[in-house]
Amino acid sequence: MREKKQRMAERDTGGSAGVATVAPQSSIFNQQSSIGSQVRLPFRTAFRISVQGIRIRLGRSLVTVSGVVLGIAFLMSNLTGQLIKNGVAAKREARQQATLMAAMVRAEIGDVRDKNLAVLVCGTLRPYETELLSTIVAAKPAQLRGLGLTQEGVTPATPSTLGAGAGVLLVLGDAPSGAFALEELTQGMTQKVVLEAEAARTYAGKAALEAEASAVRRELFFGAQHEQQKARMAKEAQQAHARTLWIVVISLLVTVIGVSNALLMSVTERFREIGTMKCLGALSSFIRLLFLIESSLIGAAGSLMGVVAGAILPLLAYGFTYSFVTVLGSLPYGWLMLAGAGSAVVGTLLAVLAAIYPATIASRMLPASALRSTV
Amino acid sequence: MSNSDLFAAEGAADKHGYVIRAVDVKKVYRMGDSETHALRGATLDIHRGEYMSIMGPSGSGKSTFFNMVGGLDKPTSGKVYMDQVDIAQLDPYELAWLRCRKVGYIFQSFNLIQVMSCLENVTLPMSFAGMDDEEAREKALGILERVGLKDRALHKPAEMSGGQQQRVAIARALANTPDILLADEPTGNLDLRTGEEIINLFSQLRKELGVTIITATHDLKMLKASDRIVWIEDGLITRVTTADALDIQVQEIH
Ligand SMILES: Nc1ncnc2c1ncn2[C@@H]1O[C@H](COP(=O)(O)OP(=O)(O)OP(=O)(O)O)[C@@H](O)[C@H]1O
Ligand SMILES: [Mg+2]
Repeated sequence: MREKKQRMAERDTGGSAGVATVAPQSSIFNQQSSIGSQVRLPFRTAFRISVQGIRIRLGRSLVTVSGVVLGIAFLMSNLTGQLIKNGVAAKREARQQATLMAAMVRAEIGDVRDKNLAVLVCGTLRPYETELLSTIVAAKPAQLRGLGLTQEGVTPATPSTLGAGAGVLLVLGDAPSGAFALEELTQGMTQKVVLEAEAARTYAGKAALEAEASAVRRELFFGAQHEQQKARMAKEAQQAHARTLWIVVISLLVTVIGVSNALLMSVTERFREIGTMKCLGALSSFIRLLFLIESSLIGAAGSLMGVVAGAILPLLAYGFTYSFVTVLGSLPYGWLMLAGAGSAVVGTLLAVLAAIYPATIASRMLPASALRSTV
Repeated sequence: MSNSDLFAAEGAADKHGYVIRAVDVKKVYRMGDSETHALRGATLDIHRGEYMSIMGPSGSGKSTFFNMVGGLDKPTSGKVYMDQVDIAQLDPYELAWLRCRKVGYIFQSFNLIQVMSCLENVTLPMSFAGMDDEEAREKALGILERVGLKDRALHKPAEMSGGQQQRVAIARALANTPDILLADEPTGNLDLRTGEEIINLFSQLRKELGVTIITATHDLKMLKASDRIVWIEDGLITRVTTADALDIQVQEIH
């Protein structure tokens, strides 16, 4: 290996000297008789040449890119639409729940306006509980004392001051309430009504509290119904999903075929260029790499554009039908990011997949094809 | 010198050896049922540093002979030795190495890579040879200067005349300082005067670099500039003459 390097170096210096000055016939490089082995080029070189090719043939490349854009935009818009629909549906459901719960609160204490209320939050609020709280805050109670949450319109309180003067105590959140004693919480309430958004809550303190009838406990819980509804919706969503899935798959297949076709044409158009490169010492693997890089760049560019288009269009469409506030407020952004990244990867991979056949054809082209003077 | 001496010259020329020896090379192209015998057994020794022209009517097999001799295609039978190495024995990596460094190809239709500038066209074979970019650039500029196109280095081939393009192609063929320049009708697409410039350039390069030049041509001026003229007819080498003997032969062609 080292010997070969040295020989190459000799040839090169011999060469530059030969151009500048007069080298006699017996110069060293003419005496070399053994044949070396061509090295694989660094990826960088292939990348540079690919980019150059795309830049120069920009028009053609853009047509190929647009094929990818369409396919990926279709995929992405389906995913985004699904996410928006789910988000809006969840939001709606939460609002329904909240409305029901608010009605229950009203049934206990009448109009919330100018009343004293207390709220205990254990853990984090569920979406419908958040809705409920904002409904109550919006109804302008005289005072809303809260423990375990900080929100505008809620006065912070300790367990012993929470109940003072309140007509109802709401117990919300997804964590157990075992740390609190109901006796302490309901201290000083004008009417000891406890509304719980979860079934079978237990409290610390005296065990047979209900027997003492010191407080009325009611459930604000619509969980079972909620689960049923959820299951029904999931089933519906799945059916819709299966329906769109095969359309998406077909559209992606069309994209692959389109890219493949465009690259095949590009190969036939460039047969002389490819042949020439082979005459100049390009390895077949290098030619293949050129086309694979070109295609992956086209795929990546097209995918990115497709992802952006496929995210924005459904947002606009749903934004006009519902409202932008609802749509943007209920969108699961994490999932949206994931869908975008996934679509971009799929688009790039499909473009590379589409390039395998044309790249193989190109790499098998004979160097002699460069010599043919007529196309 | 008799004809047989010219076919396989021994003696003085042997000191430098043969660059290429073709022994009974046959090539058959098969297209479906039909067979084309493009070469029917061509034997020829090419001396190091000589300037050889190949003559023959269209379709006689000149380009086919070129492809065999330049390692671009493999013969159906027979052997081609380049520097005593049978090129049929080489693996794809060695063949690519040989095309990259041993042989410089020049084409009738120039075959410059249109998307690249002249300079990039010349540095491309150097990149293939693994030379680093800066060094390749320096060397390419030197060669372009040698062919008189240094100031045009950054132009695209499409912006240049045929003669200029062919000179870039020659610069590219010289990129890795090859032993052999193979030119298939290099003046075929050029007018008489630019053709003459190319011929002069070949003669100078041979003197300066000692490179072996093999051309196929119908160009009388090119024939006159060459050391030996090989006549191919219908896939066979029929005559090998010196340029001096040409004057008489010319009558026969025309
Ligand atoms: N790739 C090929 N496939 C099939 N037949 C071929 C191929 N290349 C050459 N031939 C045939 O081989 C014969 C010799 O062709 P070749 O190109 O060597 O002629 P040539 O002497 O170079 O002609 P010209 O002066 O027109 O360039 C012709 O009959 C041609 O049709
Ligand atoms: Mg020809």
